[in-house]
Amino acid sequence: MTKEEVLAQVNNIFNDVLDEPVVLNYDSSASTIDEWDSLTHIQLVVAIEKHFKQKFTSAEIQSWKNVGEMCDSLVKKVA
Amino acid sequence: MITKEFVFTKTFTISEKVYSNFLETFQDHNPLHTNKEFATSHGFEGIVMHGNILNGIISYFIGECLPMKNVIIHMQTIKFLNPVYLNDDVTLVAEVEDIYESVNSIAFKFYFNNQSGKKVAKGTVQIGLLK
Repeated sequence: MTKEEVLAQVNNIFNDVLDEPVVLNYDSSASTIDEWDSLTHIQLVVAIEKHFKQKFTSAEIQSWKNVGEMCDSLVKKVA
Repeated sequence: MITKEFVFTKTFTISEKVYSNFLETFQDHNPLHTNKEFATSHGFEGIVMHGNILNGIISYFIGECLPMKNVIIHMQTIKFLNPVYLNDDVTLVAEVEDIYESVNSIAFKFYFNNQSGKKVAKGTVQIGLLK
């Protein structure tokens, strides 16, 4: 799966969890998306782990600076 | 820490006290819950207990029955499948659906059976573990 494909699927998950349409790019982060607060962060991670059938560690999550780095992690995991 | 093998089962009676306290607290006096003739005329055996009494039991399960107290409910879903009547015994069966160590979260799935073994509700509850 390419990084672009991962981003598209992650974008759908964000739309569902945040319950409103957002347009993600690789630079998106909690600081650029108003609805992405600490509680929705948990829901987003849980939904992403479920969707991709992958598990993250807390260290991995804390290392991401933006959506692009999260997509990089997912691309490696689902490869 | 809970493992994926964790299962919780307990039976609760939906007693007059539970019913009347719920009525008094939340003031939902819809005739389905308070008028036997109304309830039976719509195909039920008697007044139907408020479905959200079962959500109260889920609150008790999360707050009091887990091996840790540092918990908070993040999300909860429930489907009501069959009516619960006054003095029914409902048995909660809850098990771990998944553990999300990355965000300190646990998802449970649960169901309630009545004393006849009929499933009356099912759902999920996701909790966070407070640091």
